[in-house]
Amino acid sequence: MDYLPLANILHHKLRSVLSALGIGIGVCMFITLAGLSRGSLGEIADRWESVDADLIVFPRGWGENASDKSGSALPDRFAERIAAAHGRIVRRVIPVFTWQFKLAGQDQTAVGVDSDQWGYLTSGRKLSSGRLADPQGRFGRWLNEKLLTAGTQGDQPLELTEQDLSDPNHDGLELVIDSRLARAGGYRLGQVVEAANHHWTIVGIAPAGVMARVFMPRPTAQYLFGNGDVTKSTLMFVKLADGVDVGPAARAIAATTGQEVVPLTRYRGMLLEKFGIMFVYVDAVNVIAMVIAFLFIMITLYTMVLQRTREIAILKSCGASDFFLLRQVLAESLLLTGAGTAAGVALSFLAGWIIQAARPLLTVTITGHWIAVAAWVALAGAVAAAGYPAWRATRVDVVEALTLE
Amino acid sequence: MADEENILAARGLEKSYGSGPARVHVLRGLDLTVRRGEFLAVMGPSGCGKSTLLHILGLVTPPDAGTLELCGRVVPRGGGELQRMRQRNVGTVFQRFNLLGVLTAEHNVAISLRVRGLAGTDGRVRRLFEEMGVEHVMRRKPGQMSIGEQQRVAVVRALAHEPDLLLADEPTGNLDSDNAERLLALFAELHHSRRQTIVMITHSAEAASVARRVVHMRDGKLIDA
Repeated sequence: MDYLPLANILHHKLRSVLSALGIGIGVCMFITLAGLSRGSLGEIADRWESVDADLIVFPRGWGENASDKSGSALPDRFAERIAAAHGRIVRRVIPVFTWQFKLAGQDQTAVGVDSDQWGYLTSGRKLSSGRLADPQGRFGRWLNEKLLTAGTQGDQPLELTEQDLSDPNHDGLELVIDSRLARAGGYRLGQVVEAANHHWTIVGIAPAGVMARVFMPRPTAQYLFGNGDVTKSTLMFVKLADGVDVGPAARAIAATTGQEVVPLTRYRGMLLEKFGIMFVYVDAVNVIAMVIAFLFIMITLYTMVLQRTREIAILKSCGASDFFLLRQVLAESLLLTGAGTAAGVALSFLAGWIIQAARPLLTVTITGHWIAVAAWVALAGAVAAAGYPAWRATRVDVVEALTLE
Repeated sequence: MADEENILAARGLEKSYGSGPARVHVLRGLDLTVRRGEFLAVMGPSGCGKSTLLHILGLVTPPDAGTLELCGRVVPRGGGELQRMRQRNVGTVFQRFNLLGVLTAEHNVAISLRVRGLAGTDGRVRRLFEEMGVEHVMRRKPGQMSIGEQQRVAVVRALAHEPDLLLADEPTGNLDSDNAERLLALFAELHHSRRQTIVMITHSAEAASVARRVVHMRDGKLIDA
């Protein structure tokens, strides 16, 4: 093989491996961080988009972004009002109450939903195991009694203290969690977990990919996290009848309710608007990592040029043109970068697997798009890193180099 | 108008290095003519300008003044024509062989041909290796060859593109007496059988004795041209 760049690389194996590894780590970081930041947000958006609905209704006071809101906000009567006013175009309204509480070491969005509507939040997917939380369980019954007290019948609520609710053995508070949360927290069916100052029994495991990681009966969520107000939810999903245009329907419902109504597909954009700043930081870190990686390559190539002035002088004495020398340095840079990029892509898959194994709630989505972006950045970096060393190679003084040999 | 019988004609070559009080005049109006097929040895003490002369004749550095004609054409001071003349008309054997350490012998030759824009000469290059008695080291890297083998591979490299002029810079300077003798015999054979024009810079009278003509340099000039 008279291909000098490859011969040089193979001759200096350790130096070449270290150089390629420098690039590989940069590329791996680039792809993994992009995949982690965008993957985790994308996974949330995917879950929300899996809901069998077309619109989201939320309070106008929240502005245009509902992606980080929770708690009591939207009176439940809007569900009836929407159904009544738009019966022709609306198939169903699904009020949900969302709240953040900590499970498996990090905040989870818990969703309170009526048991007969739970299937819409999962697009009909069934539980992997167990059952749904029972709205007529001990806590449910107590709550109903309590609600009745406030009503016209004047019944007395069931005697059940807050202390009773915290009893690990009571059958009052029940949760359904998704399989990723179960794996992350090591949770199993029937296990009692503590969250938001209450004890909860895990009664069902939902498949990963459903709208939230934690589900409970809506009244339970409303009562516990909505200051006892069981008349308000956080937002409502609206499923339109077949063939109804989303835009006009959203405007019509907004006019009726006076609330913000957006297509469900807008949720991904809301998330990006809210958390997109994170990408700026991630991308900044990525740029710094890549610049350092290519400075490393440039120093390697520059050192190579300084060490090989005699060889360069020999080639020049044979008549090698500046273009020939530039091509040799550039080719060496591209070969190192190519090897480093391939290693970096492989490492990023490994890193993604390790991250998701260690932290099951994180999602690393490695896409062809980001691999392509990393490859283009690497290509541009290889050319830029080769520029100065190549120029130095063309400036080698043949007489000086051969005289000083 | 260049003399067609002369492969090389240098007139009034001047070259100096440094500036101000440190300026050293290495060549001072040197004239030299080499005829096609001639084997010329240039002798002289260290510092007399032999190597500088070789660099100018090898077209790797231009003279400060004077003219140089090679194969009937005036050598320009730069540009594509100079590059083409360097690639096609001249081959150089260095004192320390200067083979590329990461390439095998055959690839050292191949890359020198590629640099010169030549290809498809594998068969001829192989015959050249055989002619020089180094066909057995074709696939070895310089570090796996003896000193003598390295120098003969360097000769193959210098001749592979069939240059009009073969320059040799102290070619026996790094060789033991046996290898030096073999190399000089090789040069003599090249000159005899191929009518290869050779200009050899040497300080060795023994080496110079194989040349057909010997000139001496002192203080940047030929003293017996």
